[in-house]
Amino acid sequence: MRILLAVLAMVPAWAQAPAQNPPQAAAPAASTSSTQAASDAGGKTAGATAEESPVPSTEPWFTGNLDMGFRWLTGPQGSVATYRSIIDLDQGPRLFGLDFTIKDPKRRLFDRIDARGYAWGDPYNTAHVEAQKSSLYDFRFDYRNIWYFNSLPSFANPLAPNGIDEQSFDVRRHMLDASLDLRPGKRIIPYLDFSHSSEFGHGIATWLQDSTNEYAVPVLPRSGTNNYRGGVRFEYNKFHVTLEEGGTTFKDDEQASANYFNPGDRGSAFLGQNLALTNLQQIYGIRGDSTYTRGLLTATPTSWLSFSGQFMFSQPSIDVNYAELAAGNLAATVASSLLFYTSEIGLATGAAKQPHVSGNAGFELRPLKRLRIVESWMTDRYHDAAFGLFTQVFQPVGTSAPVTAANAMPNEQVVNFNQQQIDVMYDLTSKLTLRGGWRYVWGDATVLAGTLSQTGNFASGQLKRQIGLAGLTFRPIQKLSMNLDYEGSSSDNIYFRTSLNDYHKARGQVRYQATGSLSLQGNFTVLNNQNPSPDIRYDFQSRDTALALYWAPNGGKRVTFTGEYDRYTLRSDIGYRDLPFLTSVVSTYHENAHIASSSTDVALPGYAGMTPKLTFGGSLFVSSLSRPTRFYEPMGRLTLPVQKNISFYAEWQWYGFGEPFYLYEGFRTHAFITGVRITK
Amino acid sequence: MTRLLPTSGCRYILLAAAVVVGLATGSAQPQPTAPASSTEKQAATYVGSQQCQVCHEDIFKAFQQNPHHGVETDKKRGFENNACESCHGPASKHVESVSAADIRQPAKLAPAEADRICLRCHQNQPTHVGRINSSHAKNQVACVACHAIHKNGPQGLVARTPAAINQQCSGCHAAVWASFQNPHRHRLPEGAMSCVDCHNPHGSFLPHMTQAFRGNEPGCFNCHGEKAGPFIYPHAAVNLEGCGACHQPHGSANPRMLTRPQVRFVCLECHANAPTPTPAATLGTIPPALHDLRSPRFQNCTLCHQQVHGSYISRDFLK
Repeated sequence: MRILLAVLAMVPAWAQAPAQNPPQAAAPAASTSSTQAASDAGGKTAGATAEESPVPSTEPWFTGNLDMGFRWLTGPQGSVATYRSIIDLDQGPRLFGLDFTIKDPKRRLFDRIDARGYAWGDPYNTAHVEAQKSSLYDFRFDYRNIWYFNSLPSFANPLAPNGIDEQSFDVRRHMLDASLDLRPGKRIIPYLDFSHSSEFGHGIATWLQDSTNEYAVPVLPRSGTNNYRGGVRFEYNKFHVTLEEGGTTFKDDEQASANYFNPGDRGSAFLGQNLALTNLQQIYGIRGDSTYTRGLLTATPTSWLSFSGQFMFSQPSIDVNYAELAAGNLAATVASSLLFYTSEIGLATGAAKQPHVSGNAGFELRPLKRLRIVESWMTDRYHDAAFGLFTQVFQPVGTSAPVTAANAMPNEQVVNFNQQQIDVMYDLTSKLTLRGGWRYVWGDATVLAGTLSQTGNFASGQLKRQIGLAGLTFRPIQKLSMNLDYEGSSSDNIYFRTSLNDYHKARGQVRYQATGSLSLQGNFTVLNNQNPSPDIRYDFQSRDTALALYWAPNGGKRVTFTGEYDRYTLRSDIGYRDLPFLTSVVSTYHENAHIASSSTDVALPGYAGMTPKLTFGGSLFVSSLSRPTRFYEPMGRLTLPVQKNISFYAEWQWYGFGEPFYLYEGFRTHAFITGVRITK
Repeated sequence: MTRLLPTSGCRYILLAAAVVVGLATGSAQPQPTAPASSTEKQAATYVGSQQCQVCHEDIFKAFQQNPHHGVETDKKRGFENNACESCHGPASKHVESVSAADIRQPAKLAPAEADRICLRCHQNQPTHVGRINSSHAKNQVACVACHAIHKNGPQGLVARTPAAINQQCSGCHAAVWASFQNPHRHRLPEGAMSCVDCHNPHGSFLPHMTQAFRGNEPGCFNCHGEKAGPFIYPHAAVNLEGCGACHQPHGSANPRMLTRPQVRFVCLECHANAPTPTPAATLGTIPPALHDLRSPRFQNCTLCHQQVHGSYISRDFLK
């Protein structure tokens, strides 16, 4: 808010900028003359600086835009929780956008600085700064602050006595990245990078021991990841090598605390006892770190051969400390016996280590002018070795002797993935290129088995898939291009019931520049995946057809129209076992969606050399069948320039959301914005 | 435990380094001049960018602000003072005849041919390590489809702001952009994210040209770091199939961008195998029968199995 106020305070000064044109015009002249003076005095170096400068002397040293205003909402009417989960825009003053560029004609500390920030005051605000000086450094900074609110009743137990807000979160995600390249454009380029992402806020999660009852409790998510990396790039004309060393630190300090009577979701007595949680203290202390080594290589030893490869080794590890203290009238299964207890102390400790190796290599061979052969290979393998110990001490109801339970379990997950692919591209004519190829994917995995599994603690899976590839690119005339892709596969082994098995996937795209002002595009995608195994009977088919049109008659001087329409259908049927009686049933998910978006700009009759502009459009999403949904976002905007560099605007947007099966999740609201945009 | 020795990896690196040193002996000299497509063009010679300015004043001026203007002073690749001709080829014939036929026009070349011009300088850069795996390269999407070579300004060479990047990508990927009009989506239409936050348009060895971060983790974990692990009890689906096993990352009509409207179907479509699987069976054993799905208490699996991405405490993802 303070930043916003500071920006607001700067606006009057900024708004006066156009009145300062004469001094601004003088400034570059002064700059030029000072450069000239330096040239006269300093001789060759200064002269070279003036000569090398690509910035014409009349170029302004500062350019930028400021876009700020105020938003009003008439609602939301309906479900505020759903509105916040999907839209989450509030009313109040906003800095919608700020961007500027500073150029130093003398190129002392920097050549140019580009900065921009958007949506300050809204739940997702960003800032980005780039500063560079030719051949010396290149600095980039990126910051994002995204509020993530999610509280949807359809994710909770609708019969929960404390309300249907379980598994809801109101957290902030902070992400920043800063990188510095030294000597950009030179042959040897050292670089450094730091990135950080974190999540904190509050939410409602569930505490439970087993299936006797579950209790919604408030939680405070607190986690963060830092990544440091540095390396050197060697860029030569015929090859490049990057050697990089990096490290990651991670922490998760989520907490839960509740000190009130909480009957849980059960809603009925359990073996004559009314279960309740009266006190809970829960804290996670997770610490992780990792180092990694990466090497990248590209090479073009001859004009007909290119090669590239990558190698990476990382070894992330995690240390776990966890404690919980629960009190109330509770029940759990301890050592295969049901135990009613009044309090419980639980302590968990554990560690995991996951050495991870991945590498890929490939080459592109051009033995003939019309022929290209691309071969690539990759492997990715890791081994997650872990050990966890969870010790609990229960104070049973009516006795004084505590009961101790310890659950110790080593665990591992081993995954080996490999892929080999060859593509051949042949220019049949100058207008037609044909492609064909083959991909072989194979691997194996050992993972923790399900509770009921008869294979012991671990289960093994295999992956073996052969995929044929084909495609063509056709450009009969300059204005028309067509691209078709097809892949079809037959799998011997797959990991999961819903994995791609025997599938056909095709994609097509046609682009046509009908006239100088009208262009059309069509996209088509179809995926058909089948697994006829008697236990699975998976039948999946999706089709997606999109049409896009861009129309700007007379060079877009008066009207510009952009429109897209998408028709999407999905049909998925798969057999599964319904609980508790393990009856064989079919899970059916069908979706039939119409999606459209458009934007029309109309230049209105002008005044005093200025042209007001009307913009209208928006988007709609209408789907039917398994989860019918309506989501509308129409908008209109009128921009009125009042000076060459200042324009006012007014905007209206409507947000409407509804679901026939979940009427209580619908919402609607108007949003009005008035603002000013100042350009320099 | 599978042996994963960094030392063997180091041996490969050393081997690669030895190859590189061998190649380096032939790389000290600047690249030979641009290959010409005809005998006539081979005879042409460089005239310098100042000569181009005489007729192409507007393009020349705009180019002064373009990052490629640096080629004008770049001794590294031997195009000093010949920035225009570094892409358009030697122009002496064109200067004499003033005919468009006597100069190379990359915009009118076949994409693969145009790309070769760009890649003479850019092939050997880290951004192009995954290029040969890129569907863009295989589908003849030329560099100039995204990069504007002559323009100036902060977005001259390529779109920089999230909104501009998204607009550029959606120019071809109309169906993908349509999926961002779903109610549950990542914040791309709002400009808080861009396509390149998750995808590397130059290519990646991960499927769908997904960006790789840190220890070659998929781009999802760059923001959702708490789901990266390693966990004491990882959920196999996350690592074996990726986030897309349960989520539609571009957007969905279903809450939390899930592939199904109700959580239990997301889970039970995989967790439906008998406890004694055949050797060729898939992973995912059926849950115990205590889960009475007729009761609303059990219909949202993640209400109890809340650490479904992986747990540090509970084998069943309860804590």
